[in-house]
Amino acid sequence: MAEVSKARGAVKFLFWLIVTIGLFYYAFNSYFSGQMVSWYYYKASAEGYAVHTAAFKDASKENPAILEIGSFQTISGLQAVPVKKGDRLPVNTDGIISNEVLKKGKRVKLEDGYLKVMVPNEIKEAKGFKYKDSFKHKEIKTNPWSGVWNVGMVLFLGLSLGLLAEGFTDMLGFKVEKIEHFEGIH
Amino acid sequence: MFDFLIAGIQAPIFLLVLTGMTVGMVGGFIGVGGGYMVTPALIVFGFPGYMASGIDMTHIAGKSVVATVRHRQLGNIDWVLGLAMVGGTMFGVEQGVRILTYTKKLGLSGIILLTASVVIMIGLFVYTQLETQKSTKKISELEKDGKKVGRELSVSKGPRIFQSISLFPIVRCRTARIVVSMWVIVLVGIITGVLSGFLGVGGGFVRVPALVYIVGASTHIAVGTDLLEIAVSGGYGALRHSMMGNVDMVAVLFMIVGAMFGAQFGSIATSFVRGPAIRYILSYSLILATVGAFLRLFYMLTGSKHEILSFLAVVFTLGEMFFLCFFILSLVIFSLRYQKGKPVPAWIPPLVVVK
Repeated sequence: MAEVSKARGAVKFLFWLIVTIGLFYYAFNSYFSGQMVSWYYYKASAEGYAVHTAAFKDASKENPAILEIGSFQTISGLQAVPVKKGDRLPVNTDGIISNEVLKKGKRVKLEDGYLKVMVPNEIKEAKGFKYKDSFKHKEIKTNPWSGVWNVGMVLFLGLSLGLLAEGFTDMLGFKVEKIEHFEGIH
Repeated sequence: MFDFLIAGIQAPIFLLVLTGMTVGMVGGFIGVGGGYMVTPALIVFGFPGYMASGIDMTHIAGKSVVATVRHRQLGNIDWVLGLAMVGGTMFGVEQGVRILTYTKKLGLSGIILLTASVVIMIGLFVYTQLETQKSTKKISELEKDGKKVGRELSVSKGPRIFQSISLFPIVRCRTARIVVSMWVIVLVGIITGVLSGFLGVGGGFVRVPALVYIVGASTHIAVGTDLLEIAVSGGYGALRHSMMGNVDMVAVLFMIVGAMFGAQFGSIATSFVRGPAIRYILSYSLILATVGAFLRLFYMLTGSKHEILSFLAVVFTLGEMFFLCFFILSLVIFSLRYQKGKPVPAWIPPLVVVK
């Protein structure tokens, strides 16, 4: 009987291993192909300039980054594209410098048709912990379906990994029995 | 180092897998999501605050499913109890988030959050410690008299009071062997949900004691059922975070891989111990988290001037994960030694099970 259960465990393990590898492959492929990223940086939720924040992460007041403004399809390096609320974002966008930030003029200024970025990061706090907050992900609207995809993927992956582990212990003959909760005095 | 395209940072995969594994082990054993440990860890690894919460919540949903699968095999889930509570929990979470938004408008959310966390956790710690000490003492006395003591022994009088409420409809939970008014279960769901939504955590550290001390479930069933609950409420939280764009899915995937190993060990480890052992670990996790929260509260109240307090809070929070894993591992090893008749510390026999 134990051998039968081990064989069944091996089949279960192999099946869920294939499913798990498939899920991981699909998830990583979506990530590196840029599909997942485009779902994230989907639309503008405020009027301003779409930018690629990594291009000016080291800018400072002494050494500001100067961003060229234009209607580029793909943002490469120090470029910025004017967007309105609800516009689809150009490729490579990962944040928006809103008109509100521009009005304040403390972090970014509009000078001679160029964006001058002086303070790319601010120190903020969450639950008592400090972290560096940049323009990344600011004023961005994520595709709501990506949320459904994420949750579906994570729940199915959890199920798949759980059953994979169950198959693994069954395959090794490690018997996990039901706990007798109400045996003896309780 | 891995380049996280959505979060826009570089972080070591090893640390994410390790965090997932340790929190998975603790969560699988005491039935909590572990959000109060993971979010600070992710911030320390360089993830922005909003994304740390989102990644944490999404990983909790997946990890809870992994642990639920194993607890189902162990017979630790009461589906009726879990599903009856889900509606109340979801409603409570929404109300908790609204209260949080209101306190944020008043500009007080950080301090109120941490103060509430500290007060609730200290209260639960004190009650759980006192009750568990009485239970283990009673187990020792019964065993001295040669009586066979089961998995569970709780001296709390709460369940008798709440089970005597005969408001229609009455629910029969077969696995937990409880007959209780549906309203009690819904109310527990709402209260724990409000705390969960307000404090921004899975809520397991409140729900497990509530299931034991109010509803009257055995600790093992409370743990398994709570993990089912977290999978549902965590899934909803993950959906909200994901829709707001607070999740880098690849970070979640790495953490779930670690959580798979940890959750397996944590879940299976529950079969080696009695209920009071799980409640002990839960109470220690509460007090350790409280110290971390207290340090952060003190740091905020002193105008964020003393960086050492923030640093100590981080060290404490991360150290807690390893301490709890070590504690669980020790219990399993001592249980095995005790079963083989080898010497173990005097406090071990009432906490472990002889198979």
